[in-house]
Amino acid sequence: MLDRVRRDVERNALRARNGIKLVAGVDRPGVGQTPKDVVWQRGRTQLWHYRNDPETYAGVRYGPPLLIVFSLISKSYILDLTPGNSFVEQLLKAGFDVYLLDWGEPDERDAENRLEDYADDYIPAGIDRILELSGADEVNLFGYCFGGNLALLYAAHHPDAPLRSLTVLATPVDFRHMGPLADIFSVGGMDVRSVLGSDGNVPPSVVVQGFRSLTPTAEVTRYVTLWERLWNDEYVASYQAMTGWSDDHVPFPGAAAQETADMLVRNNGMLTDRLTVGGDPVHLADIQVPFLTVRANRDHIVPPDATSPLIDLVGSPDKHELCLDAGHMGLVVGRTAAKTTVPTIIDFVRRRSDALPDDAQEA
Amino acid sequence: MTPPARKPAPSPPLWRQAFDAAERAVAPRAEDLVRSEYFALATALVRRAQTVAGESVQGLSARVWHLVNLPAGSDITRLRTQIGSLDREVRRLTLQLESERRRASTTPPAPTTSTTTEDSDADRAQPADGARPRPARRRAQRPARP
Repeated sequence: MLDRVRRDVERNALRARNGIKLVAGVDRPGVGQTPKDVVWQRGRTQLWHYRNDPETYAGVRYGPPLLIVFSLISKSYILDLTPGNSFVEQLLKAGFDVYLLDWGEPDERDAENRLEDYADDYIPAGIDRILELSGADEVNLFGYCFGGNLALLYAAHHPDAPLRSLTVLATPVDFRHMGPLADIFSVGGMDVRSVLGSDGNVPPSVVVQGFRSLTPTAEVTRYVTLWERLWNDEYVASYQAMTGWSDDHVPFPGAAAQETADMLVRNNGMLTDRLTVGGDPVHLADIQVPFLTVRANRDHIVPPDATSPLIDLVGSPDKHELCLDAGHMGLVVGRTAAKTTVPTIIDFVRRRSDALPDDAQEA
Repeated sequence: MTPPARKPAPSPPLWRQAFDAAERAVAPRAEDLVRSEYFALATALVRRAQTVAGESVQGLSARVWHLVNLPAGSDITRLRTQIGSLDREVRRLTLQLESERRRASTTPPAPTTSTTTEDSDADRAQPADGARPRPARRRAQRPARP
């Protein structure tokens, strides 16, 4: 009994300390800390090259380079959350040369951006720059969430693209199962123009509200769990990093949002093969490169039913699917990611890559 | 030798158990509600009403500002949209130009041979069938490895 009282007193003292830290916003965990260089930039879009110094990441190197295409509505640091809990760091440790296309923070100059801007201009330009820098003649392409949709549109519209492989993670293709986020456009008939901000983009607050509506009680549960475990420093650090990211969205370019609502949501274009990019019809069946789709069976943002048809839509003879017992973010951060997702992706890409000779590694 | 039995995790406090029970009862209903057709329709309707109301107020305030020869918020929005469109056009053209330049620089130059006057003239001639040089294409996506 006395032990329990002593433990409760200690925990309450820790709760008070951590509570003050949370409210004051001090001692926040550093996110996106893996050293990187901006190697190309156009508008708000940047191509990052993560440093893979031999002193830090020893061992066999693999090529061609790996390019990550990120989603248009959230910030890319989820893939490099904190040291030791970073998807990018694991790829670097596995010997890959990692690049990431970050879309930055769109403003009124991006309001007219359509999906073709990303699939036909930015991704090809980023790949060209990587080929120029690395001397390789191909890349392994990787798309996360909506970035996977962009990567699919690019690969389908450019059958001659210099791709060694394509991996997509939590990428929806059947938008009928996307829940309230899609229903308000398809069933409710809401016009994207009615949610545009003064800069012509969908404001981040609307995106956050949309995600919150998927699990209406989660917000309350989140605070209750925080109160219960506020004494635990490790939990508080992880809470700050994760909730910081899930509340930290970027504006969705207006024209791209309109196109997404029309083509992907209302027409369900990926599933019904009614996709156009820059006026050209494109077909996922034209994708012929080795392909891996990774999906999570506890994903409440992109439910399994929205991702499962993808494997049958892609034309690649060498295609694989990995279904994990994880949530949307659990695919790239946390224990499941470190133990299962990332090693499986690394294994898939490694089998389709070449071990680089020592002189190339030194270069 | 049998491994030592793992200590069972302590049960959550009573208040947490009560919250979890309430959450288990409420969450599925709340999720069903937000996933229903009515919710989608109601959200769209409310949003439409907000837009109509906002546009009416904006239109009224724009008229007031225009009366005193000053630009209204809607004028600024229109200008921002136009700047956005122009910026996008320039960005796309720049990217396409960069891409063409890269392609041109990676295309090997035509072999040079000693030419006579006749050859020089022939160099400028176009093929009879009207075929013109095409930009270099990258090789096709690599098929699956065996």
